[in-house]
Amino acid sequence: MKGSLARTLLALALAAVLICIMLVALGASPINVALAFWEGAFGTWLALTDTLTKSTPLLFCGLAIAVAFEGALWNIGADGQLLAGAMSAGALGPMLSAWPHPLAVLAMLLAGAGGGALWGGTAGWLRARRQVNEVISTIMLNFVAAQILSWLVHGPLIERSHAYPISLPIAPAAELRLYFRPSRLNFGMLLAISCAAACYALLYHTEKGLELRAMGRNRRACEFSGINTAELTVCAMALSGALAGLGGATQVTAITHRLYESFSPGWGYEAIAVALIARLNALAMVPSAIVFGALDNGAQAMQRTQGISPVLVQVIEGAVIMVLLALDATGRQGLGRTLKGPMSQAKKATDDVSVESVSQLEAWR
Amino acid sequence: MLAAKSITKQFGRIRALAGVDFVASRGEIHALLGENGAGKSTLIRILTGILRPDSGQVTLNRIPLQVGSAATALRRGIAAVYQTPMLFERMTWEENLALGRLNQRRLDFVQVTAEAQAVAADLGFTLPPPRTLVEELSVPERVRLEILRALRSHPQVLILDEPTSILSPTELQPFLALLCRLRSQGRTVVLVTHKLAEALAVADHVTILRAGKVVGETAACHTNEAELARLMMGEDRPRPSSAPTERRQPGKPVVQLHQITVRSADRLVLDRVSLTLHSGAIVGIAGVERNGQEELVEVIAGVRSASSGSIVVADPNCDRREAIAIVPQDRDGDGLILELSLWENLLLAPRLRRRLVSRHGWIRRASAIQLCEEIISLFNVRAYSAKVPVGSLSGGNRQRFLIARTLAATPAVIAACDISRGLDFSAAAELRARLCEYARRGGAVLLISADLEELFELCDRLYVINRGRVAEVRLGQQNMAEIGLMMAGHFADETESRPEK
Repeated sequence: MKGSLARTLLALALAAVLICIMLVALGASPINVALAFWEGAFGTWLALTDTLTKSTPLLFCGLAIAVAFEGALWNIGADGQLLAGAMSAGALGPMLSAWPHPLAVLAMLLAGAGGGALWGGTAGWLRARRQVNEVISTIMLNFVAAQILSWLVHGPLIERSHAYPISLPIAPAAELRLYFRPSRLNFGMLLAISCAAACYALLYHTEKGLELRAMGRNRRACEFSGINTAELTVCAMALSGALAGLGGATQVTAITHRLYESFSPGWGYEAIAVALIARLNALAMVPSAIVFGALDNGAQAMQRTQGISPVLVQVIEGAVIMVLLALDATGRQGLGRTLKGPMSQAKKATDDVSVESVSQLEAWR
Repeated sequence: MLAAKSITKQFGRIRALAGVDFVASRGEIHALLGENGAGKSTLIRILTGILRPDSGQVTLNRIPLQVGSAATALRRGIAAVYQTPMLFERMTWEENLALGRLNQRRLDFVQVTAEAQAVAADLGFTLPPPRTLVEELSVPERVRLEILRALRSHPQVLILDEPTSILSPTELQPFLALLCRLRSQGRTVVLVTHKLAEALAVADHVTILRAGKVVGETAACHTNEAELARLMMGEDRPRPSSAPTERRQPGKPVVQLHQITVRSADRLVLDRVSLTLHSGAIVGIAGVERNGQEELVEVIAGVRSASSGSIVVADPNCDRREAIAIVPQDRDGDGLILELSLWENLLLAPRLRRRLVSRHGWIRRASAIQLCEEIISLFNVRAYSAKVPVGSLSGGNRQRFLIARTLAATPAVIAACDISRGLDFSAAAELRARLCEYARRGGAVLLISADLEELFELCDRLYVINRGRVAEVRLGQQNMAEIGLMMAGHFADETESRPEK
């Protein structure tokens, strides 16, 4: 644990060095850029809270991915599951005007979790019963969710004037009122952190969690031990989807209050990086998600004050992940021990995935 | 001449080898003996360049071997067959044989197959059907494939880690003859084995390891089994007696297999197998592998569903999964999860899981670890603690742990394959004694093995399996040869008529 933390920090430091070289090559001053980045990400109360707000959906999706990946279920569909959750909440929201506030919010969250669970569970069911590779099915379900969202905001849920492709706003009763004023930071982040603790307890202290981790490392040995892997697959994917769906629902109830096209800027994909950097550890997911939220916020500040393209942020994210993986490959142990089991399974899984779907994934990202 | 000089190797806090000297000359068969965890496998991995020793040097014909380079070792003519097959699972066996031909640019599968067939015929091996993926092969088939791969490069030095325990009786003699032929060609053969008689029959020299040190090095003609056993175990420990001879009283039927039939593709893998397991009785199934044993175990475990037939557990209150515990043949693939710790693996046994998990699904971590440590010390599993991953244990200790887990769960029935695989004789005798004890207390045991001597020693009833059919045979030393012939005869018969895929 200690070793893997040190390695993660080392990876971040190495990535920082790489970025500095790149900045110098571009003719910018690394120090000024770093200062701007810090200012934008953590420098003020507003910046700090905004960073935390932005990391909330990443944290939910990262947890979703960790739960699935621990069971060697390659859920690439956190984005679709988040959208499914957001859609359920967003469709329910306008109908809740007569409800008391706490109940309405709770209903929104439950709807989100349910929608996400349905989306993830479908992929899990296809895997367990029909041997459909979950990498392909979850990617495909992402497209399905995005298209349904587009149809919803152009059709059944379109706002009253029918002028803009956005949905009806949710009822005021369903709007979250728990904020850390003056900021957008809300109860959602606390919920996400509680989910992280719950996921950790589930994975490491319960029977189901052990079964899931065992399945991720050796599916056949689980079957010989009398573990129902089909049921476990469906449950794990449903839970994974529910977590992502909760992320979508909190976004609707706390921030956007309505649905629109391109609701997710790709949180579900970015969260794969979040989860990998946290080495699928649910508790480490919290700082990992915050780092990515900070990258996003800091990038805008860099652009504003230093004229650095926000594309560079994607370069930074890529650099961090590559350095981390390179360290993993050379590291002896401790390092990514969590990942080693699922990862060797991943190689097996990717053998089965057609080249097309991989390139499609590439294009989508 | 292969020589290792003052080799030392430390894994964490465990010293695997402490100043080991080892010399195998040209044109000799050199047996390397030792108990489980004595350091044999570590020494072999160092000789073949897979592991880097902390200190010391390996030389071949007086030229030092580049440390920690398996490729150099292979190029210099050191080939090895490991206890755990190291093959590419998702490639066909032909591709596996073709890989690693270091000096050939073009892959010629026709030639590879022809060569393999020639060597296999020489050895009396049967090759799997063409273009079979390695992951579909049984463990013995994989070991044979490894032997073929090692021989294909015409090595100067051939190192074999426990190859004979997995070979069928018909294959053993040609295999030992081949080793002698290799010796007469001036090659060196290093043979790691637990079977002392076999080692003495074929080897010229014997080196004995104990706890990471060489405790004896002698010509095979100057020693005997008793002396070797004493050296391997140390002076202070008496040789454990074999299974208690007192007969058990078979009780009520516990599990009934009724007309189990399994069809796979167009092949009949199991043909109306009916068996009854009684409490207090050990039932053996003898057979050469690939005659349906694997599928039978899978059906009993509930991993594969039978095409027809049923398994009935006598006690209606007992869940089948909990009643029957399995010791699968592929220990690492089907039995254990190498990346998880010992105590987590312990929880994979359904009955232990029920005992160590609270009503709401929380794991009683402290009690699980405590139970695991008790089991470790009771069964002499050499592990640093209950929290280390199972993958860090040596092969024999993994086997011990697997059987310890099975016995600790006290299931009504144990179905076990090759229980003494990879175990030294004292450990094997201990496990057999424990199994007998378990049966004496009313457990039912199904043993599936190709080791007739073991089956004769333990079983109350014996069946022979051949091409998916089982037939009961009379127990008695006089028909041992007959049973052996039955297994082998049918096996030869099968190779002629085995349907192609």
